[in-house]
This record gives sequence, C-alpha cells and structure tokens, in this order.
Amino acid sequence: MSATSKKYWLVLLAIGYLSDCRKPYNPPVITTPNNYLVVDGVINTGTETITSINVNRTRNLGDTVIGGIPELNAQVAIVTGNGATYPLTDTAGKGIYTSIPLTLDINQQYGITIKTSDGRKYASDLVTPKQTPPIDSLYIQQPYDLTFYVNTHDPAGNTRYYRWDYIETWEHDAQLQTGWTVVNHLIVPMDSTTQTFQCWSTVNSSTILLANTAILAQDIVNAFPIETIPNGDDRVNNKYSLLVREYALTADAYNYWLLIQKTSQKLGTLFDLQPSQLVGNIHPLSNPNEPVIGFMSASSIRQKRIFLYQTNLTNWQHNTNVYQCDTLGIPVDRTDYRIYTYPDTLFAPYYFISGGPLILATRRCVDCLLFGGTNIKPSYWK
Amino acid sequence: MNNLHPYFFIGCLSLLFFSDSLGQNTKKISGSFEKAPFSQLAGKIEAVSGYHFYYDPSETDSLRITMTFDQITVTELLNRLFDKTDFRYAIDSPGRIFITRHFTIQTRLPTSLTDSGRIRSRPEDQPILAEDRETQEKTKILLPAENKLLEIGDRTRRPAPGKATIAGYVKDTKTGEPIVGAYLNIDTLSLTVLTDQFGYYSLSLPKGQHILKITSTGMKDTRRHIIVYTDGKLDIDMQESIASLKAVIVSAEKRSNTRSLEMGANRLSIKTIKQVPVVFGEADVMKVILTLPGVTSVGEASNGFNVRGGSTDQNLILFDEATIYNPSHLFGFFSSFNPDVVKGIELYKSAIPEKYGGRLSSVLDVSMPDGNSKKWSGTAGIGPLTSKFVIEGPLKKEKTSLIAGVRTTYSNWLLNILPASSGYSNSKANFYDANLRITHIFDPKNTLYLMGYLSSDQFNLNNDTVYKYGNRNANIKWKHIFNNKSFSLVTAGVDHYQYSVSDDKQPLNAFRLGFNINQTYFRSDFTYSPGNKHVISYGLDAIYYQLHPGSFDPIGKSSLIIKNTVPAEQGLESAVYLGDQYTVSSSFSVSAGIRYSVFNYLGPHTVYDYAPGLPRQTTTQTDSTFYGSGRFIKTYQAPEIRLSARYSLSNEASLKFSFNTLQQYIHMLSNTISISPTDIWKLSDPNIKPQQGRQYSLGYYRNFNTNTIETSIEVYYKQLDNYLDYKSGADLVLNHHIETDVFSTKGKAYGVEFLLKRLTGRLNGWISYTYSRTFLKQDDPLAGEVINKGKYYPASFDKPHNANFIGNYRFSHRYSLSVNVVYSTGRPITLPLAVFSLGGSTGLYYSERNQYRIPDYFRTDISINIDGNHRVKKLSHNSWSAGIYNVTGRQNAYSVYFTQENGAIKGYKLSIFGTLIPFVTYNIKF
Repeated sequence: MSATSKKYWLVLLAIGYLSDCRKPYNPPVITTPNNYLVVDGVINTGTETITSINVNRTRNLGDTVIGGIPELNAQVAIVTGNGATYPLTDTAGKGIYTSIPLTLDINQQYGITIKTSDGRKYASDLVTPKQTPPIDSLYIQQPYDLTFYVNTHDPAGNTRYYRWDYIETWEHDAQLQTGWTVVNHLIVPMDSTTQTFQCWSTVNSSTILLANTAILAQDIVNAFPIETIPNGDDRVNNKYSLLVREYALTADAYNYWLLIQKTSQKLGTLFDLQPSQLVGNIHPLSNPNEPVIGFMSASSIRQKRIFLYQTNLTNWQHNTNVYQCDTLGIPVDRTDYRIYTYPDTLFAPYYFISGGPLILATRRCVDCLLFGGTNIKPSYWK
Repeated sequence: MNNLHPYFFIGCLSLLFFSDSLGQNTKKISGSFEKAPFSQLAGKIEAVSGYHFYYDPSETDSLRITMTFDQITVTELLNRLFDKTDFRYAIDSPGRIFITRHFTIQTRLPTSLTDSGRIRSRPEDQPILAEDRETQEKTKILLPAENKLLEIGDRTRRPAPGKATIAGYVKDTKTGEPIVGAYLNIDTLSLTVLTDQFGYYSLSLPKGQHILKITSTGMKDTRRHIIVYTDGKLDIDMQESIASLKAVIVSAEKRSNTRSLEMGANRLSIKTIKQVPVVFGEADVMKVILTLPGVTSVGEASNGFNVRGGSTDQNLILFDEATIYNPSHLFGFFSSFNPDVVKGIELYKSAIPEKYGGRLSSVLDVSMPDGNSKKWSGTAGIGPLTSKFVIEGPLKKEKTSLIAGVRTTYSNWLLNILPASSGYSNSKANFYDANLRITHIFDPKNTLYLMGYLSSDQFNLNNDTVYKYGNRNANIKWKHIFNNKSFSLVTAGVDHYQYSVSDDKQPLNAFRLGFNINQTYFRSDFTYSPGNKHVISYGLDAIYYQLHPGSFDPIGKSSLIIKNTVPAEQGLESAVYLGDQYTVSSSFSVSAGIRYSVFNYLGPHTVYDYAPGLPRQTTTQTDSTFYGSGRFIKTYQAPEIRLSARYSLSNEASLKFSFNTLQQYIHMLSNTISISPTDIWKLSDPNIKPQQGRQYSLGYYRNFNTNTIETSIEVYYKQLDNYLDYKSGADLVLNHHIETDVFSTKGKAYGVEFLLKRLTGRLNGWISYTYSRTFLKQDDPLAGEVINKGKYYPASFDKPHNANFIGNYRFSHRYSLSVNVVYSTGRPITLPLAVFSLGGSTGLYYSERNQYRIPDYFRTDISINIDGNHRVKKLSHNSWSAGIYNVTGRQNAYSVYFTQENGAIKGYKLSIFGTLIPFVTYNIKF
C-alpha cells in the first residue's frame, strides 16, 4: 500500500470515528410539556394556625425559569375524615393557597383536594395528624465556621420522624448613611419606608433536613445541624436571625422526603446517584396515570428563632469596606435645591453642604437595596 | 483411579548404555523400558548411536515397549522387539533404520539379497526399494494412516472377549496443536466421544476390529482402521482443510448440535470467528459472541455482554482458566483477547457443567493454543488502530512449545491529528495486551501448562480525567493421565483486575479513584470414564478473593482531596462437585451433576447492624462489629443442581432439556447514568445475600440437507433471587455501607432463540433471532420504597428483540465477502421528565424505573477478505481485509445522559460510530 492511499483511509476513519459523537437527545416524552402538579405544604393542626399550601407545576428540563410555575385559580380545600372542608385561597395570586386561622381537631384525619382551573381534580390520602414536639433549643457552635443546631425530643416517643426547614434573615446596612432620596427628580428626606441605610434579606432553606430516631430507645434528637455559615460570610456582618420550623412526619412521608433530598443533587458527575422514583400520596382523580408530586402531611408546626450578632462569634473574618466609596460635589440647582438631574445613576445624593455643593456618593455605598432584600424592618426584628 | 501406574517415573528410570569400543554394526547397548512409546526408544538409540530411525509415527503409535536388555546389538534388539509383530525393519549403510509394517524396505539392489544378515524378509513380504515406497506414499500423501490396520495393545496376549479402552490426543499434524472438540465416532457401535480442551479423548470399545471416524471443524475428516487387543494409546494427527471452497468447514459442528449432550452451548473455532467482519478488521471474540442467539450487549462498544437476560457480571469469563473481569479494550471497541492467541471459544448458556460455578448466567471459556510444537512460526497484523505480533514454536521439539503474543494500539496519534474543532484533539486512548503460554510435555502422561496474561487500558475523552484499567493473570496447570480411563487437571493461579479514574490537572483537587479485585485459586478436576456409557467428573476448587472497593486519594501535596478508602473485603469461595454423563442408549443420554458451594466472608472487616423491621438506611444503623483478620464473618452454602438430557428423535433431530441452579457470591454495581462507568464489585456479606438462579430450558434441534444446515429453537425460563438493584438515589461510589443503597429483587427471565446456520459451501453463515425479556420485582416495603408500585419492571438490560445475520460468500479461494447485520431493541432507561421545586429544594422528576428505551440499534458491516496465494509451501501467507463498518451510517446511541447547563437540564445521546467507517487490515503469517 502506498503512502498516499494510507493517508486517505486514515482521514476517512478520523471523520467517521469522531465527528458528531454527541447529539442532543430530546425524545418526545421530554420535549412535550411535562407540567405536573406539585403540592408543597403541610396541613397545620396547631391552635389558631394558618395552613399554607403552594400549588405549582413542574417545568421542562430545558426551561431555565427558577422555581415552579404557579397554579392559579385553583380550588383548594382541606377535607376531614368526617366530611368537613376548609377552603384555602390564593390571596396574592402566586399559587400560595392559605386558610384562615384554624384549630383543627387532632383526632380527625385530614387531606387536601384540588380542582384546577381546567377542571381536573386531585385528592390526597387522608392522613392522621402528628403532634410536633417543641424545639427544645436552637443554638450555635463555632469552632471556625458557624453551625446552628437544634435539640428536640418527644417524651411520648410518638414522633420519631422529623423534618425541618428554616428562614434566615440578615441585616445588611449601607456603608454610608444618607438622609436623602430622590422622588420624581426631587430630593426629599427619607422616612422609615424609603430609607436605604438598613436592609433585611430573607431566604428560605433550599435543602431538605431530615432526621429520625427510629432506632433509638428514646425519641431524642440531639444537636441536629440545621445550617452552616462559612467563616467570614457577610450574612453575619451585622445582625442575623434564623427561624427554624419543625414538622413531625409519618414514616412514609419521611421516606418520600428522603428521596427528594437525594434527587436534588448534581448531575453528570462520576458520583451520580441513581434516579429516584417519587410516589407521593396525592392522586389525580381524572387521569389515574398523571403524576403528582408532593406528600401531604398533617401536623402542628413548631418554630424557634435565634438572633445572632457578629460580636457573639470568635475569630470571625469581618469583611469591612468592601467597596470603595467615591464622593463628588455637584452645584445645587439655584431655583430649587431639591431638583436633581444628575445623569449618572451610579451616584446618589449623600448630603448637602450648607451653601455649598450637593455631595453625591457611589450609589452602592448609600443604597443597601442594591444588594437585595427590603428596607422595611421585619416585625420580629429586635 | 484404581490403576495407578508408576508410568510417570519412566523417563527417569529408563537406562541405556552403549559400549563404544566396537564398530557401528556391532555396537552393544543396554537398557530397560516399561510401556514406553516407540519414539522414546528410537530417540534413545539415536542419541547414543549413529543410527537414525525413519518411521511413520501413526503406525508406531500403538506400540508400547516393555523390555530389558543388556549388551546386545541394535539388530538383536530390533529382532527381539519386532518378533511376532508385523513390523519390519531395514538398516542401510549410512546407518538409517527404516521401520515399516507388512513389508520390508530393500536398502540395496536385489542382487545383494545374499546379504541376508541385514534384511529380515519373510516369504509373504515383497521387498521394495525405499525410493519406490516414497513414490507410492506420495500418491496418497494426505492420508497415510487411513488405510492401515493399526494394532492397539499387546498382541501377544490372547485375544479375549470384553472391552478395552483406548485414549490419546488428536493433534494438528502440521503444528502439533491439540484439537479441541474433535468427534471420534464408531458408526457400527453408535459410539461418539469428544476430545477435551487438551485434545484428549478416551474411548471404551469391544476388543476387535473397528473403523474410527474423526471429524473436527476446519480439519479434514479422517478415519483409522484399528484392531484393539488390550488398552492402548492412539494419537491421531489431522490435517487442516486448506481449501474450504467445496470441501467443508464442518463436520464437528454440523453433527454436534443434534448429537452432543450439551445444550445451549456454542463452540466456535478461531477460524469461524475470523470470518465475521468487525470494525477495524480485527477478529473479535466478544463481537462474535454477541451474534449468537441469546447473547446481547447493553450498548455498542460497551464492556461485557448479557446472556439470556442475565447481567454482565453474571458471566464467568475464563481465558485459559484465568478469570477475566473486563473482557474489553478501548471502551469496548476491542475485546481483550488477541485473536491470534485464541484457539476457540465455548459459551455455555443453559447446561453449565458442574465444574463451573460462581456465576449465574453463562460460562465463556476462551482457550489458548499450545503453540506450534514442530517449527517456529508467527503472525503479524497491521490495522488502522492496532498492530499485533504472535510467535510460536518449539523450545524443545515435540516437548516444550511456546506461544507469545503482543498487541498494542497507536490511536493516540490519530486523536492528536484531529482539528481542534472536532473537540477530540485532547483525547487520548491506548491499550496493550500480552500473552504467553508454555506447554511442556514431560512424558505422554504428564503435561504442564503455564500461562500469563497482561492487559492495560488508558484513555481520556477530551478532558483531563484519565481512566485506566487492566487485567493481570497467571496460572499453572498440570494434566496427569492415570490411565486410559482417568486423568486429572490441577490448576493454581492468580487473577488481578484493577481500574482507576484520576485527574491531576488542577492541583487543588487532583485525585485518584482506584479499585481492584484479586483472586487466588486452586482447582482440581478429575475425569473418570469407566466405559463409554459414563463419564464421571469430580473435583474441588477454591477461590480466595480480596477486593478493594474504592479508594479516593489526593495526588500531589497541594491537593485538598481528603483521602477516603472503603475497607478491603475478603472472601473464600470453595466447592466440590460430582457429575456423571450417562449415555443410556444411542438416542438418549443424561448428564447429572451436583456442586456444593460454600462462601465465607472473612475479616478483617467492619459490619454494620441494622434495626430489624426497618429499611436499611444510615439512620437505622444500630451498631457495627469489627471482625479481625481471618475471622469467619458470614458463611453461605448451597447445593447446585445441573441436569440435562438429550433424546434423539432421528439422526437429524433431537430434543434437549436442562435444569440448572446456580449461586453467585460476587456482585457488580454500576453507576449507569454517567457516561463514565465506575463499576463497584462487592462480595456477599451479612447484609447482601448471594444471588441465586434457576434455569429451565428446552431445545429442539433439526439438521437438514445432510447435516449442512442446522436449525435450533431453544426456550428458557429463569428465576433469580437476591439480584441487586439500586434504591432511588443510590450513591454507589465510595459507599462504606452499600447495603443502604441497594435492595434485592426477585427476577424472572424468559425467551426463545432461533438459529439457522449453514457452515458449508460458498454461502455460509448464520441468522439468529432472540426474543428475551428480563423483569425484576421489588415489593418489599422494608426496603424503604417499592419500585414501580411493586410490579415487575424491565431490568436495565432487558432488550426484547435481537436479530443477527452473518453471511460469508466465497467468490473463489482467495476472495470472499462478509456481511454482518445487527438489530436490537434499545435498552431501557429511566428518564427525567420534569424539574420540580419542593420544600425549597429543586429536583428531577423521573419516570417509572426503566419505563422508556433508548433508540433501537441497527448496524450493517461489509468486508472483503483477500487471501494471498494458497501454495502450502510458501514462506509466508498474507491476507488483506478491507471493509466498511456501519454502512448505513446510523447514529446508534452508546449512552444517553443528562447534564446541567446554564440552569437547564440538557439530554445528550453519545454515539461512538456515528458514520460509516472504512478500514483496511493487513495480516502476515510466516
């Protein structure tokens, strides 16, 4: 074989061997809209408490929206074993259906029914409420990073299976405090609803926290880690608060949440997990093969809040003066000192010098809202 | 075994002295022989005298010499030796001794007949010149022994009624290579026996005259006219059928399917294997196995194969008795077996002989040749991706032979020349393997075999993660023949398999993830054939396992990876077995065997205890117990039954039945979603029970057209217990307590296999179709979840329809065309269907387990084989093979996987051979 013909087949080979190895794989079952109903919430059997159920729909694999697609205009109700119903309403139009404050009889069984706006009906199994024991303590430990722990126990030994979630809120203040804000090109003094010096951000937990005491002689959960904040994280630059909510689960509900916990891990690595199959207790009444995601439990909800200041911590890497704050002076409008027409939105009014210019500062130094959250002080903020 | 002759020592005890002071003709010799073959005596005489013997080994192979002599001449010795036999001898002046039968060679012109001291002649013998004899021989040179009456045993004993046993080796006359699976049969007695893996046979038959027919694939049919006086040895040489155009590849296989007792067994010689076109033109054992009915693979270029609805870890793959854990190279593109050091394969699918155990689905026995014992020869092959070189020959003629082979790839440069835009220019892939086998014949009753095997693979696919794996095996076998009725085979060896994944590109998280399996084994197999009606086999074997199920180590000082090592596991699997093949009548035979296997899970190991009545989860671990080194942690034991029966409906049709129970103490767990396989091997332990299988099968075999077309239908039904499947969300890699992530399932598999085969003529090949299903069921709520609502669900290797066509058409002696067509249903897959948010967490909603399938698989390959000229005496033979793999260019899915990109989950189908691939391979044989 001559050298030229050798080359010829090798090139052919290379083309065949390695081109187009990877092609998108989108079988119809994946590309057709797979908007399955997701029911997320707990029937709250506490005293004078509100039950809140988030009804939304799954999104397709290729969708990049975050969170579920809210299911609006559905008829949602709590049903009891004796036939009574308590309607839930979506007051905010976000697919979050809430009840009026209720005191549900813990000797009854409860379930949920949903009728969507397109007329499809769904119902959960009736479940027996579980009494959630109180959180005995919520505390921190900080060898280096900071970890929040809960202790809880059920002297009667009936709870055994626990789930927690949490809401964390932290205050993040602007580096510089100004008393002025701009409304309709006019500089006006701030009040408590327009101030931009103190902000509070609130984030819900994004992991599933589960524990069980099934193998223990006593129903005691000791030092269950809720959340770990790495040393130096600026959430604890000022003041930080963690609200932990505890839910008692049945063994079935626990196993369901355990799968949710596993399925939310990363894909495409060496350490891939096997696919999880989710079989909840909410069933479609119209089309028996339609999947519904969620497991309806009924229990009281116990919660505990902890506040934390950075001064509580030891050897915390405090990140101060992260941003360079530039200031500049601009002449005040002669006709009305309040008129503000400065075009560069990266700057915002800082203070007036009497008879002198208006001092502007880099906006991110005076406006904490640029970093998210709200400027309205939460009611529980001490 | 009752008749243990001290024959083994004869080579050491035989003495031979020459007094050299006298002339050649009167040279005196002394010696002592006990049942020695003629060749031994001749060799001794040649060694110490100037004489050379000329004789036909096939004529003297029935001779056994028992005599003691002291200070006699060669002439006296030969007179004594051949007295009362029909052997004649003649000695000419240069010192050549011609041994013949029935006639005497005249070494001088007839005028010198007066020199009667040199030539013993009898009235009935017509002396002829040696040259005349040679020309006579030439006219029938192919079958010199066929027309002779061969005497077996000691004629001097009075012929007595009764039976005698003859035994010996069937070998290739050219290379001395033993022929496995050759059929010896005596039509008048309806007797058939097969040669074993060493080419050895034992045949019990009435004393007297018989015609023994010998047939074997790829060899010319031959026959021996024998007269049996007493037990004796008969070695048979067969000739390769060189021109297979009109005459036959045949016979053995064409008869075997209706006549043999084996059911669901496929035996293929390397010659048949080499006719199947494969990618890159390299004959491939594994690819050919995949064309057999009942054998499938999970995907293209995947490691391993599935037999009758079994998983890939349920196949025992033996390469010359060594267990091979990974039979594939280069992501499965090539098999680990260099085709030039493979003699043939046997695949047992249903009636698994009792001497094999430890796997549920099948036994694949890949045999290696002994190496040419007569002359040095070799083969070399050059293909687009690999080159190989094999050399074989006698270290000591007819005594010690060697075969050694190496094969390597040079695909790296191919990947390197690709343009960067192809996305594969950073990829690297290479492998090599090396084989060595030495056969040493101490004497006709003792043979030693040594084998060594090494394979290594390394690849990375356009990223820095490097995958490596390799097999290392060595063993030593001693075959000892006690007598014609019994022999033993004792084997000891070590097997090692390792694999690893490493990435050292980024110093901060440079890691190596490593696994290995080590086993040390001892086997002793005994075969006893008291008569042709029974072949009794029994034996004992033991395997000591040590597994390292995963270690995660940092590479370099700056790596922040934390070392994580799953502790080693130890186990001892031992078994005794006893089986009998009983030929009830010529049309009915039964094989029954029992194997009793015991498995000990050994320390040192820490075993977790779980709360009774609760799912095994990390949260239900109540305690852990540490067992010290060598402690017996858990013992499992069970009898295994192997039954099969054949009933011949006619000469051309038979019915076979088999029932098997099997145990398997080692499990493979595979992370199938990711594209990079990281299999975990796991021994049975207190929490993971052994897998158990039962298989019933029934087959109907019918040959047509004077046995040139064979057809078969086999149906089977299998039950599986304790087959491991994964819990939802199972985490397999580096799991210290894998029992929390798996559960045992009950399984059932059933199917029907059709085969139509024609192995003769210009057009030959086979068509097979298999319908097979495998279902698993997990309905135990104590596992923590039920799968698919507790219903039977398809196993991940369930592929209902499989069809294969292999066809060869010979245009002439030199040109042939091969076509290979493969179709199979895509394998099941669990697809993610949607993304949900629940409890603040985002997850994937998956379909029911294995509810969907990847696209069906279809491929057609064509190749043309051109042989060099067929002159037998040519110094070297070369051949070309050119063809196209995947002619239709179909993009068959190798793997389907999902990955997160910019917030969306994207699915990808990876096809390896996405277009048609031409190839050319050149082979040279010298």
